[in-house]
Amino acid sequence: MAHTYQNRQLRDHAPIPARAGVGLRSQHHRDALNSPDKLGWLEVHSENYFGKGGAPLHYLENIRADYPISLHGVGMSLGSVDALDYQHLQKLKGLIARIEPVLVSEHLSWSSFGSHYLNDLVPLPYTAETLAHLTVRIQAVQEFLGRQLLIENPSSYLEYDYSSYSESSFINELARRSGCGILLDINNVYVSSINHGWNPLDYIQDIDAERVGEIHLAGHSVNTVAGRNILIDTHNGPVSKPVWQLYHLALQRLGHVPTLIEWDADLPAWDVLIAEADKANAYLEDAYVQAA
Amino acid sequence: MYRLHDMQRDFSSHVLLESYPIPEGIKANGLAPEQRLAIYRNNTRLGLTEVLRAVYPVLDQLVGEAFFNRLAHFYLSAHPLQTACLLQFGGQFAQLIAEFDAAQGLPYLPDVARLEWYWHEAYHEANSQMLDLSKLSQLDPANHDRLGFKLHPSVRMLASDYPIADIWACNQPDYAADTQINLNQGGCRLVIYRPNFEVEMITLEPADYQCLSALAAGTTLTQAVQQVIGNHPDFEIQTCLQQWLSNGLLTDFFIIG
Repeated sequence: MAHTYQNRQLRDHAPIPARAGVGLRSQHHRDALNSPDKLGWLEVHSENYFGKGGAPLHYLENIRADYPISLHGVGMSLGSVDALDYQHLQKLKGLIARIEPVLVSEHLSWSSFGSHYLNDLVPLPYTAETLAHLTVRIQAVQEFLGRQLLIENPSSYLEYDYSSYSESSFINELARRSGCGILLDINNVYVSSINHGWNPLDYIQDIDAERVGEIHLAGHSVNTVAGRNILIDTHNGPVSKPVWQLYHLALQRLGHVPTLIEWDADLPAWDVLIAEADKANAYLEDAYVQAA
Repeated sequence: MYRLHDMQRDFSSHVLLESYPIPEGIKANGLAPEQRLAIYRNNTRLGLTEVLRAVYPVLDQLVGEAFFNRLAHFYLSAHPLQTACLLQFGGQFAQLIAEFDAAQGLPYLPDVARLEWYWHEAYHEANSQMLDLSKLSQLDPANHDRLGFKLHPSVRMLASDYPIADIWACNQPDYAADTQINLNQGGCRLVIYRPNFEVEMITLEPADYQCLSALAAGTTLTQAVQQVIGNHPDFEIQTCLQQWLSNGLLTDFFIIG
């Protein structure tokens, strides 16, 4: 137990390392415990640990002794006009108390109306109305949880013609007003840019570098709808080449930001995930050398 | 607030219920807004179908992927997702299958679904300490008649007219034997629970099942035994108690009154 305590002490006082981590799924719980020195940190989906007990929480409590943990939520439905779900928030607060994560994040999206949920992260119109609504909601959540949230840009398959902000300027303004940080998902920037004809470099150039606390990288799929290619954020394969290129450019601007590999569908072997994280580490070291 | 509200109302109705008009203001940009919205409908449907398949792998195995997808589609219409916590999604599947006409030829399916849901619930239920046997042994004999037991919080009990424990076992991924199950072999009485981190399933004799059910309902041990003895004069509570204490089914005791 002394070993565990010492690790916790170190962890609690260290910021999240600017190294690559991976999104952890239950199939890899044992692998993570068996190779604690191979990754800088791990991220889990908060809602997967909302059960009352059993193996998932048991493993996560053991794993958190060896790794900094980030709790990534997919169910808060921050942009919804429904009331905030305080039962959900209470469960998250309990999990935060139990796991003591280094980061807690959610999405710039909505997923519920009238208490009926779409099992997806739906984009919002980027208007003054949405900005005011989200600012109040994020402030309420941050106050309830007693900590800052990072908010992630979504992958999207549609836009609203009455949006008055670009997504990057909207998320910057939201962070400035609410005090939240930004989780910049480079794959999502790429997917949305291709789907809507945005310039992904402009997006990266525009984002408020000071507020970016984490980067996500993931794989996507190409679907054909009515003869037109649409990129879908599927997390079911390696990071694509253009996304690595965009990441490389983003690091030159953002510095070395903790980076997460999300590959959680068609889950590969643990070693494959570690190799993908090592690839991100090489880019991070490169950025570090360039900055020095 | 009105524009955001109206968009979300129209968007969710269109995606979840199909027939509703499309929300205003969605850019076409090379694709009809309906086609863009259909991507969100597909993501929701496929995602939740896979959530159900993960909770009900034996059902999926029994009916095949295509039929399971039909069941899932029917389920999503009847029970739209009402929580952001997917661990709670899918609990009414057994009931829905019982009412699904095309599934009537396989009358054991609803009980297999119940078994799998209980398994899922037990997996995520609260942990519990083992019962403190030294405390139990110090109990004042004067209180024996008022003694009751608390069961492990993960305990789920299921009595079926069909041999669902065998059906379940034969459809596990690592099952190798070539067994023919006779549906007329009779039913079974099961306890599904999680003593530590793995879920376990125990088959009980009718008398044992009746006794454990009575204890689960909060009756005293004395009353529970009296209820069972009427139907099963040979019932031996000592053997049962020893087993249930050693395998962690009973986790605490109390004195009534």
